Amino acid sequence: MGPVYRLTLRQLSGRWRLSIMTVLASLPVIIAVIMLRSKDAPSVDEFEKGVLSAMLAGSIAPLVVLAIAAAALGNEVEDRTLANLTLSPVARWQIAVPKLLGVMTIAAPFIAVSAFLTSWVAFLGDTTASVAVTTSALVGVALYASAFVWLGLVSTQAIGIGLLYIVLWEGFFSGFVSGVRLLSIRHYAIDLMHGLDARRFATGRHLSLTAALIMAALVFGGFLVLSIRRLRRMDVP
Amino acid sequence: MSDVTFDIAPGITGLLGPNGAGKTTLLRMMTGLAEASKGTVTIFGEPVRDNPPLYRRIGVMSEHETVYGFMKGRDFVRMMGRLRGVQDLERAVDKAIALVDLADAQHRPMDTYSRGMRQRMRLAATLVHDPEILILDEPLNGADPRQRVHFKRLLEQLAAEGRTIVLSSHILEEVEQLADTVLLIVNGKLAASGGFRAIRAALNQRPYHVRVMCDSPRRLAAEVVGLGSVDAVHVDPDGAVVVLSRNVLDLQIELPRLAQASRISLRRVEPLDDSLESVFGYLVEQ
Repeated sequence: MGPVYRLTLRQLSGRWRLSIMTVLASLPVIIAVIMLRSKDAPSVDEFEKGVLSAMLAGSIAPLVVLAIAAAALGNEVEDRTLANLTLSPVARWQIAVPKLLGVMTIAAPFIAVSAFLTSWVAFLGDTTASVAVTTSALVGVALYASAFVWLGLVSTQAIGIGLLYIVLWEGFFSGFVSGVRLLSIRHYAIDLMHGLDARRFATGRHLSLTAALIMAALVFGGFLVLSIRRLRRMDVP
Repeated sequence: MSDVTFDIAPGITGLLGPNGAGKTTLLRMMTGLAEASKGTVTIFGEPVRDNPPLYRRIGVMSEHETVYGFMKGRDFVRMMGRLRGVQDLERAVDKAIALVDLADAQHRPMDTYSRGMRQRMRLAATLVHDPEILILDEPLNGADPRQRVHFKRLLEQLAAEGRTIVLSSHILEEVEQLADTVLLIVNGKLAASGGFRAIRAALNQRPYHVRVMCDSPRRLAAEVVGLGSVDAVHVDPDGAVVVLSRNVLDLQIELPRLAQASRISLRRVEPLDDSLESVFGYLVEQ
């Protein structure tokens, strides 16, 4: 797996991608600072819905991950270098897993720092809350990465479809259609945050910690299996 | 592709056909990159599709420049060797790069290479695990004449070591010079297979033009038209006699005898269409 993992890190750490990710990841921190300095500082519930859920888990994290995950295998399909990997005597999971790990390795630090600083600023140095927010954001990164790596493999329009998914599904429908929340990565992450720090995030109806973890595992594993299956069955250009 | 069946033995086999005939599709099926909707492709008796362990014994070089431009040539070959589980990796990398004569450029990023150099480094990556079978799609694309000569020698050397090499090319002379056996693909079908001359013999329905230069063209034309092996004769404005024959083997015997008997001095006898281009041009027309 080592060669594919190292190749992925090198392929995805281009300057423009890292710059976009830096800008995106800094937005929640800036917003948190601005909100706290305003006269009408938001309640925990308002901050959670507006910044942690809608912005961090529902927009910034998926956008950052989409920018690199869709390219992890998608670019290899487009420039036909995927054949270098599939014409090697390695099982397909040994291609998909390091690709996914590479995406997570690059995206995770940006989102982790962003989530930690945002919650640290907003909750005035509450370590438990900050750890809960950061952990849930990292789980979100893993889930989005698994989904978007697969998307890059099945469509040449992965960025466009991914943006539609983020805006319509995670941003619009999951916000007010209760059933959709059961199929929303954003809500798994937020539910996990509630489970990890029920004291700070005690409001609203959410999945239990166990249920959120099970759903997260199913989504992560499901898309990974789909990617491996796709690699086995696709006609490689 | 449809109705294509053939076996390939050790040595160099050329895959030939006009653009769009299906050569690349066939090679992609042979390497497992594409799936045949019907039928099977086996290598060493094993299905090639979804069978990664088989790639330890096969080296594939596709027609596209599938390199990572940011990567140094040596790093690319090393990575491919590592992916294929090569033991004594550095020695294998040295050997593969030496084979393609790129030791001087191995520490440069590949986006600084010429197209021919990238092809050669890709060939090194294809050879690094010492495969028993080499499948090369248009391997001479972008190669200059010196590189072509080097490549030809390399392939001959690899074939002499007992490897099976399949290569496609749209440059007919290359296939003619390189390949022991030719597979002609036309319109997705296997039009003919075998040695080039065997294919030619199989095409005995095809009229065969022979151009004859002599000291008395009009007299030769009048004499030669009576031969059983000749269908038609005409004299070109430049004085060459062009003979149309469907039985060139007999013509090869009868023509010198006739010239000798008639005291006509033959200066040059050459086939006008003894090339692969003319062969598959004919097949395409069919």
